[in-house]
This record gives sequence, structure tokens and C-alpha cells, in this order.
Amino acid sequence: MSTTKTSTTATRSTSSIRASRPLMGWRTVDLLTVTFLGAAFGVAYWAWGQVYAVPGDALGALFPPLAAIVGAPWLLAGVVGGLVVRRPGAALLCEVLAALVSMLPGTRWGFSTFVAGVLQGLGAELAFAVLGYGAFGIAAAAFAGALSAPLEAVYEWFTYWADWTWGWKIAYLLILTAAGAVIAGVGGWLLTRALASAGALNAFPPGQEAREHRAV
Amino acid sequence: MPSHRARRPGSTALSEVATVLPRVGAGRVEVSGLTWRPFGRREPVLTDLDLAIPAGQRVLLVGPSGSGKSTLLRALAGVLQVADSGELSGSVVIDGAGPHERAGAVGLVLQEPGSGVVAATIGRDVAFGLENTGVPREQMPQRVADALRAVGLTMPQDTPTHALSGGEQQRLALAGALALEPALLLLDEPTAMLDPGNAASVRACVGEVAAARGLTTVVVEHRLGPWVDFADRLIVLSSDGRVLADGGPRRVLEEQGADLVAQGIWVPGAPAPQPRGIPAGLFEPGRFGANEVIVDAADVTVRRSVRMLSGATRSTVAVRGQWLQARAGQSLALVGPSGSGKSTLMLALAGLVGIEDGVVRAHRSLAAGGSRSPRDWDTVDLARAVAWVPQWSSSTIVATTVLDEVLTTARAVGMVEVEAEARARALLDLLDLGPLSQADPRHLSGGEQRRLAMASAVVHQPALLLADEATVGHDRLTWSAVMGVVEGVRDAGAAVVLTTHDDAVVARADRTTSLARPAQPPAAEAPRRPLLARCGPLSLLLGSAAAIPAGVLAPHWTTGLAVLAVQMVLAGVGLLAPGRGPSPEGRVRRVLVRFAPGVIGAASVAWSTWLLGGRDLDVAAGAAVRVLVIVFPSAVLIPFVDPDALGDHLAQRLRLPPRPVVAAAAALQRVHTLGDIWAEIARARRVRGIGASRSSPKALLAEVGALTIGMLVRSLQAAATLAVAMDSRGFSTAYERTWWAPAPWRRSDTALVAVSVLPLAVALLG
Repeated sequence: MSTTKTSTTATRSTSSIRASRPLMGWRTVDLLTVTFLGAAFGVAYWAWGQVYAVPGDALGALFPPLAAIVGAPWLLAGVVGGLVVRRPGAALLCEVLAALVSMLPGTRWGFSTFVAGVLQGLGAELAFAVLGYGAFGIAAAAFAGALSAPLEAVYEWFTYWADWTWGWKIAYLLILTAAGAVIAGVGGWLLTRALASAGALNAFPPGQEAREHRAV
Repeated sequence: MPSHRARRPGSTALSEVATVLPRVGAGRVEVSGLTWRPFGRREPVLTDLDLAIPAGQRVLLVGPSGSGKSTLLRALAGVLQVADSGELSGSVVIDGAGPHERAGAVGLVLQEPGSGVVAATIGRDVAFGLENTGVPREQMPQRVADALRAVGLTMPQDTPTHALSGGEQQRLALAGALALEPALLLLDEPTAMLDPGNAASVRACVGEVAAARGLTTVVVEHRLGPWVDFADRLIVLSSDGRVLADGGPRRVLEEQGADLVAQGIWVPGAPAPQPRGIPAGLFEPGRFGANEVIVDAADVTVRRSVRMLSGATRSTVAVRGQWLQARAGQSLALVGPSGSGKSTLMLALAGLVGIEDGVVRAHRSLAAGGSRSPRDWDTVDLARAVAWVPQWSSSTIVATTVLDEVLTTARAVGMVEVEAEARARALLDLLDLGPLSQADPRHLSGGEQRRLAMASAVVHQPALLLADEATVGHDRLTWSAVMGVVEGVRDAGAAVVLTTHDDAVVARADRTTSLARPAQPPAAEAPRRPLLARCGPLSLLLGSAAAIPAGVLAPHWTTGLAVLAVQMVLAGVGLLAPGRGPSPEGRVRRVLVRFAPGVIGAASVAWSTWLLGGRDLDVAAGAAVRVLVIVFPSAVLIPFVDPDALGDHLAQRLRLPPRPVVAAAAALQRVHTLGDIWAEIARARRVRGIGASRSSPKALLAEVGALTIGMLVRSLQAAATLAVAMDSRGFSTAYERTWWAPAPWRRSDTALVAVSVLPLAVALLG
């Protein structure tokens, strides 16, 4: 740190603030924030796994593919991890760790939980990558939430819904995608904003956005 | 950003730094023109600071709250921008180079015990810096043993880090820094959160290692008395981050002692501060007679359990057979070493933890819903009678302005708004928070948030005030303010219970109760280990994964059933525990508990398949059996996955990038604390009158949302603190890491993978 000067020129615009360059230059706090977020989501995922069946079965009784709606909260970690840290791999790492943490104490799905985490995380990661790790607004979040769903849905076709008709399978995929966009995407965006305004993301771009928003 | 200047993989500097030892007389510090303004603050925390510390000097750094002492330490360690962003200018030079030139050249010990712990065992935790700097594994045990000996930790190296007391954890952090042969040692209020015995042990230890190794040492401490003999030099910072006084400790104290006392600094020998007087009539006269018993705890025993990531629980007796009475108009100090159950006993008084044995009874006029046990009361009744100020106040904030925050409980219990607001404003003024009444409480400093929590607790004038370590980290001025409120509430007739290590608080208490650590039941003899316990995490996960294709590929439910039968036989073999010693308990029960949700899941899948598939039982059975085949091996194998070993295996066997793996392992390490955080926030909400109520689903949802946010905020704070601790031990440049523990692939692993293929073969051939 000898004779250095650092300053960040905060350009106020409608676009998102990117992570510091180089994009792959993960700081320690980036890594720990993603993994701690993942661990906390993992605990919440586990808890949701204990109770989701009640609303899930109720929806499934109306029309079985509707049960996809209660699957959407499990897509949150990837979206939030990506929105907070904004580096390549953040969404995937966060979702995978959440899945791992929720799997270890025991879930309904065993190792399948972990596979699901990888597929969901890859989907969210793909969305942020398509946007060049440069857009993190509500639309980008919804896009990431939506893309978290398809791989997972296809995996479930083979493991759980193998005997459904194609119509139901497609309906399941579409419902999970839509619920992912709303619950995980928009929900994740709101959650990230709440964390930023709580002052918990000061070292990250969302924290900087919250400060600039206040400064207006 | 200088502190993140990445040294890319392949850099040769890494192998060199590992072998560099400090030169004799190293540790010379030059700071010039250092200015730091965090984004979001108008004024800099440090302003154009110049400082030169010769090698080997021992510096005591003091100043009022908010004077930037900790900030300066972080700047000296080169970790200022690890978890915060802002404008930094000026320079810090250690022995002619930046603080980052040699990883571990600057050792940093943080205030909160355990906040820098990265590993599950003490040996591994000390080795963390050695791993980061690429020290070969064979050299580690010796260097770790030397460091542990230097700080007087004599227990085995595989002692779990969570089993240490706060003082031992601080000495562990010191050992972790010493293992890297630092030239400069920085200690950020290392004893602030410790009981007197532990604090003395840490001070003695710092004195010894600094003398033995000739370390340049900088200690930040609020209570400077016990450090005066240690230090060669005393530097006083002013509230705006400039050097106010600098020189030999005794001379500075002699010449400027009175000034420093006026600034709020705890000058040794100065008389204890007096609690600030509160305005007459601020509180109403209480409705209880003097010394009436408000809450009576008789023969109370509390057992606390922590749910571990493995699904197992670890339980300890926190309080054993304690008697306590909180009386109107009296303050009671609860003292005793950490781990003696002070905080837990206090929680039991408010019914905020369940008790295993004994009775907690409130005054009969406080009875609610026909019960005198606070545990049975609903959130509003509890809030009306009891207030609790937790040690951690930041995560219990619910409002968006300071004034609303203070009024939260008063509103919940239906106090008249104008009276509540008048009292709230008076309390805020008294606690020097008046000008901040419209500020967002989440953006206050830690000290301000603690004072805010005190104000919020007493506006509605509860009959019982419980405060956990209410004076930690305060300077003389804020101490006076906080104690003024505490005594004001007491003098208005409330019963007050304070857990504390602070002699000045004990001296002012009407009564003192001293607790000792409760005896724990002896540990049982280690049972025999099942065969599966000899397998590493990767083979266990592979075995679980192999079940997915086996389930998907089984063509018919009869084949699936055959696959399941094979899996069950193999599970039976894997759970055998040959050898001597007591038989391991609950092996089958554990599998059943984990398998039961899978069975329910299978039933639900079968149902939806049956609905669709023309009510065909064959198809439904196929779907159900498929799910059972997929989840059964996981129920057997995953409990044996050791989260600590997982990181070793992922990095060394699968060659995953080391830094993300270490970060993941560190997070897994902390998962069990999340339950505690959740419970503490839930308690704080309940006692403030805004907890979940059985009657309202809406309140329940709000509660879950608030708890989730609170838990995330605390996790993020823990991550930021840990990032500072890890970077001060060379983690930011640890691209080529060595590992303390090997990750062997044993014959048992090969056997497990081979055997896991059998069900798959049955599925394919069936």
C-alpha cells in the first residue's frame, strides 16, 4: 500500500455498477460473502424443505405441474449471489453451496439436492454471463431467476416426473420458469436491495448503488 | 486498490516469502499522510496522519469511541479495503515495504473472540497462514506446536476450536499470527470481551511473546490501565482521527491525564465515572414496593443444544441448579467467567429459553393468561413486563428511523404516543443520540446502536430490565450515559439484572451473584466406528450419486424393488461396526429418520403419477420405487460425510481452485452458529412485543422475513470480519496453497465406489 491513492469515480447512471476489474479478480471478501450467503440460504432451504410439501401438495391437487411454484424459492441463492458479488461464478458457487448445506443434515431428495443445486446455479450463471456481467437490475434478476429453472425442470422430468405426459412436463417447466422469474428473480432483487439498505453490502456494488441512491 | 493487488498464480514470489524469517530488529513502521474516508461518510475517519514506530517498540493506542483506532490498525495491516470501500491516500511502510510484501509480516488479532477462526481444530487453525504461504506439510506440525506453546495452549492439536473459552480463542488467534513469524503485531481490543481471568492470561501472553521475539506491537484498548506497564509509548487519537498526545505512557498520563479523562478515555487511577443524572420525572414511580420480588428463579437448570451440520446435536448444561431473585428497585450484577451461564440464566428469567428443571415465577400482578411463567406469555405481555438488551443489537433493528426504533415497543404495548415520544426524545438526548433521531439506525456505529438498544428497551418502563454486557466498548462518557439510564430505571422501581465483567458496574450494583462454570457430564467412551466411517467424502458422495442413474434406468417397478433390496443389503454391511468398544447407537434409526421424508416424497410422486397415468398402479409404483432408489443410499451415506474433510478432498483430489474451496469450508464451519443467530433475533423480537403471535399468520410471515434478513445481515458481517482475519494471514495471495491435512483415497473408498455400481448393474440387467 506504499504511496497509493485510490478513488472510485461514481458515475450516476441507470446502468448497474460492475464488480471491480479484473472481473475474475475475486477478493477474499467476495469469496466469503458468496459462501456465507450460500450457507445461510442452505439453512433456509433446509427449513423450506421441511414445510414446502403442505402448499406444494395443495397446489398439486389442483393441477400437478402447479407444484413447481413451491420449487422456486430454492432458486434464490444463485440470483442473490450473482447480484451481490457480480463476478463470474458467484451465482453458481452460491447456489451449489446452499444446496450442499441443505443436503448434509438430510433432505427428502438426498444427493439429488446437490445435483439440483448445480443445475440451478448453472442456469442463473448463464443468465448473468449472457448479460456480460454488466446488468443487475430487476429485469436481469428476473432473467436469472427464470433461467435457473429449465435445467432443473428437465432433470426432474427424468427423476420424478418420468411418467407424465409431455404436456404436463412442458407445463411444469414453464411454471417453474415463471415462478423462478418472480419469486427468485424479483424476490432476490428485493432481498439484495434490502440487504444493501441495511448497510450489509458496503463492500459490494449493490452497497455502492444504495449509497448513491441515498445521496440523490 | 492496493490491498487487492493480485499476485497471479505461478508467481515465484510465493515460494520465496514462505522461507523469509524476520530480521532482528525488524518491524519498523512509517505512516505518512494517511487519510481514509469510507464511502457514505462526509468526514474522514483518519486525517493526514503521520506516525513513525521504531522496531521493537510497544505502542498503546487509545482514543474516544469513533476516533479511528481500529481503522489505523487495519491500515497498518493493509486490510483496510478488504471489507470496506472508501477513499484512501497516504502511505504505510513496514521495513521499507508495503504491509503485503511478505504475507504474515503483520499479525492482527481482532476484538471478538472466535471471529477469525477458520478451522475446526486448533492445530489446523494455527496452520492456516502456513498453508496460505505454501509451507510444506512436513514443516507444519513443528511450527504449529511452537506457536501454540508460545501462547500457552497445551491441549492436543485436534481440540475443536469451538471448545475453547474466549480467552483461549484470543490466544489461538495470536498463535495463528505468530506462526507466520510477524515483525509487527497488532491487537485490536484483544481483551474487551473477556472476563478478568481470561483477559489477564491474554495480556501476560502478549507480554511474553513480544519480549521473547522482539516484536513491534501496537495494542488498541479502551481500558488502558492494565496495559500501561507493557507499553513503551502511548499515542492518543482525537475524535477526528488526529494524534492528540504521544510519548511515554506515564509522562503522557501525568501531563494530560485530566484532558484525557474529559475526552472519555479510561485513564488508570482516575475515579470511576458517575452515571449521568436523568431528568426528574422522566419515569413514573413504579407500582411495586421496594425490594418486592419481580421474578424468582428457583433451582433452574438449562441445557442448550446446537444442531451441527451433520444433523447431530451437541448439548451442554449451561446453567445447573441456580437460584436468583430480581427485586424491585434493586440492581443485581451477574458475574463469573465466560461459559458460566450468566447470559443463559438471564434469558431464563425472561422465559426466553426453556428450562429443563426448576421454576421461574414472576410477581403475581404480572401474571398473564393465568400464568406466572414468562415462558407462557405472549409477545405483548412479555414486552410490557420485561426488557432485554442483547449483546448484539444491530441485527434486532426493525425501524428505519432512530425515533421509530425507540418507540417500537412502546407502540406494541399500547403506550400513549405523546408520552412515549417525549420520553423517547429525552432518552435519546441523554444517550447523545438526540441529533440522530431521524437517521437510519442501521447506519449508526456499533456503539451508537448499543446505546439505541438501551433506549429502546426502557421507554415503556418495564418492571424488569435485563442487560447483557451493557458497558462493553464504551468510553467514560457513554458509560455514564448508559449507566445513568440503567440506574434511572432502577430508581423508578424496576428490577435490574446486568451480566458484566466491568468492576465499575459491579461496584455500583446493589447485589452481586457470582456463577461458576457448571460441571458437564463426563464424555462417553468413543463407540466403534461403522465401516462407512472409514470412507472419505468423495466416495460417499459418489456412492450417493450412483443411485440417480440406478433409479432412472430401472425399467419396471419390480426391477426397482430388486435394486432397492440390493441397496439395503449393502447398507446393512456398510453400517456394521466390527472391533472392540461400545456399540455405536442409533445407526438404523438415523437412516430411517433420513429416509422417512424420501418415502413421503415417493408417495406424493406416485399420487400425481397415478392421477395422470390413467390410474395405472403399475406406473405409479414405478414412479414411487424410482424415487426410493434415488434417495435411499443418500440417507445411509451422507451422514458420514465430514464437512471439514470435504474441503481437503475437493481441493487436493479434485484439484478445484483452492481459495473458493477454503472459503466454502470456512462457511460450512460456521453453519451451526446460524441457528443461534436465528434464535437470538427471534428472542429479541419477542421481548420487544413484535414477535410472532399464534393468532396472526401475517405476523408469522413478517417474523420469518425479518429473521431471514437478520440472519443474512449477521452472516455477511461475519464474512466481512473473517475476510479481514484471513487476509491478514496471507489468504489474498494464496493461489498455490499447501494443506495441513492430507486427503487420502483409501481402499475403503475404492470398495465403496465398486459396491455402489452393483445396484446400477441390477437396474441395467433387470
